[in-house]
Amino acid sequence: MKVTLSILRFDPEKDEKPYRKDYEIDVDPSFRILDCLDKVKWDIDGGLAYRRSCSHGICGSDAMMINGKNMLACQVLVHDFKNKYIKIDPIPSLPIIKDLIVDMESFFAKYDVVKPYLIAKSQPPAKERYQSIEDRAVIDEAVNCILCGACSASCPSLWTNDSYLGPAAMLKAYRFVFDSRDDAANERLDVVDSPDGLWRCHTIFNCVEVCPKEINITWHLSQLKKKCAMREF
Amino acid sequence: MYKYQSSKNSGAKSWILQRITGLALVVLMLGHYILMHYSPDSGHTYEAVLTRMQFSWYRIIDLLFVTLAMYHGLNGLWGIFRDYKLAPWLRISIISVLVILGVAFTAWAYNIIFSIPYVHNIALLL
Ligand code: SF4
Ligand code: FES
Repeated sequence: MKVTLSILRFDPEKDEKPYRKDYEIDVDPSFRILDCLDKVKWDIDGGLAYRRSCSHGICGSDAMMINGKNMLACQVLVHDFKNKYIKIDPIPSLPIIKDLIVDMESFFAKYDVVKPYLIAKSQPPAKERYQSIEDRAVIDEAVNCILCGACSASCPSLWTNDSYLGPAAMLKAYRFVFDSRDDAANERLDVVDSPDGLWRCHTIFNCVEVCPKEINITWHLSQLKKKCAMREF
Repeated sequence: MYKYQSSKNSGAKSWILQRITGLALVVLMLGHYILMHYSPDSGHTYEAVLTRMQFSWYRIIDLLFVTLAMYHGLNGLWGIFRDYKLAPWLRISIISVLVILGVAFTAWAYNIIFSIPYVHNIALLL
């Protein structure tokens, strides 16, 4: 089957601005978009740059905008698309390093701000910190995040204000604030309870629509909002 | 390079107030529409308004309506401005204009409501 990939290309060392380039390739309908990109890179244009690692929806490195929607190139198949002219762009709102590779520096800097690690203030037990099945259920969805960045890059609040922490970082805050073993909920709430934090989320749900792990991010942020509101009383 | 700006002004209070005033306004707006626009006998003449204003509870509801609507509307506008990355001087200018507008319009509305006279013989109006 013939498929045309229309890829946004940009090499800051050579190009003044990004441009589109079309590649027609012969593929099997069961090919993933990532396989198509590999085919272009290996057979037609070795200069094409994109990130990939696991190829199985685990590492989160190949988030890109495919036909206007952020998704993982390794998680969608050619036959998922009716129109075989498929547009591929880097995820928006982050600076392009080259072609489909964006600079995730600010994404991870925001992630860092919410202290994305367990802070337990009690003495560590001999073996491990246990968590009941019920307590774990509270964070079940949130722990599935693979930090692909699809959600934050799809958020209009972040497009207009790049200081906004964004859904991914705040989902991570939820993951620890609601972790029964963690003792630093207030420190994290202080970070997200700020004008460039939770209150810029207007429940637009773009993040939920694009999350490849099907996490209801907006619901999690709402729980954080409630928690912050409760602190006011 | 991203740098996190912490702030003492969290935004939680204004978020809660926006929701509470929003809920109150739904009820008040419904009452307003039913009374002012959908009940044929409510009347919009000077006499009809004056008659209604003889009841202090009606004035209190009007004052509440104006205050909540001003807060909700301007706080909502501020929320929209705040969604953009603004230079500190612009942010201060916008919030100042909004606060001045809010206080001025609320004071104006209060002045109008308080200046409506209480008529001694209400029967004359009815
Ligand atoms: S929440 Fe979903 S979309 Fe956002 S970074 Fe995590 S996996 Fe990606
Ligand atoms: S390559 Fe790892 S998630 Fe797609």
